[in-house]
Amino acid sequence: MQSKLSDIELIEQTLGGNQSAYADLVKRHQRFVFTLALRFAKGREDAEEIAQDCFIKAYRSLSSFQQQSKFSTWLYSIVYTTAMTFLRKRRLDTSSIDDDESYIQIENKPSGYDEYNVENKSRSYYINQAIEQLLPDDATIITMFYKGEQSLEEIAQVMGIEANTVKVKLFRARQRLKERLERNLKHEVNELI
Amino acid sequence: MNSIEEKLWDYIDGNCPPDEHKAIAMLIEQDEVYRKKYNELLQLNNEFAAMELDEPSMAFSYNVMETIRAEKAKQPLKAAVDKRIILGIASFFVLTLSALVIYMFSAVNWSAGNGVQIPEQLNMQIPHVNTFFTGPVVKAFLFFDLVMGLFLLDHYLRRKTAAKE
Repeated sequence: MQSKLSDIELIEQTLGGNQSAYADLVKRHQRFVFTLALRFAKGREDAEEIAQDCFIKAYRSLSSFQQQSKFSTWLYSIVYTTAMTFLRKRRLDTSSIDDDESYIQIENKPSGYDEYNVENKSRSYYINQAIEQLLPDDATIITMFYKGEQSLEEIAQVMGIEANTVKVKLFRARQRLKERLERNLKHEVNELI
Repeated sequence: MNSIEEKLWDYIDGNCPPDEHKAIAMLIEQDEVYRKKYNELLQLNNEFAAMELDEPSMAFSYNVMETIRAEKAKQPLKAAVDKRIILGIASFFVLTLSALVIYMFSAVNWSAGNGVQIPEQLNMQIPHVNTFFTGPVVKAFLFFDLVMGLFLLDHYLRRKTAAKE
């Protein structure tokens, strides 16, 4: 069962030497941090590594958290920076053949999904599928806006850009997501026919 | 980039000023094109908001905490009192350096080459600092300073390396 204490109270307890308070913080934010990491890494193993790395980095610099923003905003900025570094490294390490592989990874869903037929697939599944096909920045903005409880200003802080730029990017990301969603659904319908 | 869609997204997000909000609400009510588009975007918005977050493996938080424990992760807790430690060390250096400066000035022969007479009323008795700073004491102090300096440099470089990793 997760703690009902606020993030700030848990941080204070952690700084006071109570490590289980930090475990509660991890449990509280792990799903979102992992999802955000997945927007960049595509593979679950890499995403878990990024997410784990972020929580360790956050723990190391917890005492430098000024509480001028929400803890989640501060944590997501660590996730964003770490994930961007991961992407940069991967671009350096891989050739164009690997890029094709990453596309295949997007198409090949975890085994559980294969058993579903189109009638059973929920709309949410299609949205997640379409988000995975977006560029990392687009997917990140949409995820932070809808699931991270972050305002445009907070997203701007995380990504190190202007709030107005975030607004424009969010608008374009939604358009691309809508197009992807329509294309995927059309494809499924054609397959059925 | 001032399309109907953009205006409607602003309306849905609550990002437009009150006047514009009212105007768009009117348009949705009266204009069929706006109403249709608004309903479509609103449905999309609800679906985006209902998307599910992915779940990491069961052992995720355990792995994080184990890594922290393995890394002797009490370091950041020490860092919580770092400011006081740093202030203490800084004040120690400031005090000792000012003591050295006082000692240096006290060793200067002020009357040499200067015929100015200090009025008797101002002729205060300055304690003879030489009594406090004998040769070996100063050497020991400088040695201590050197060790402390090296210790802080080592600490700083370690933290820098850890941050890079």
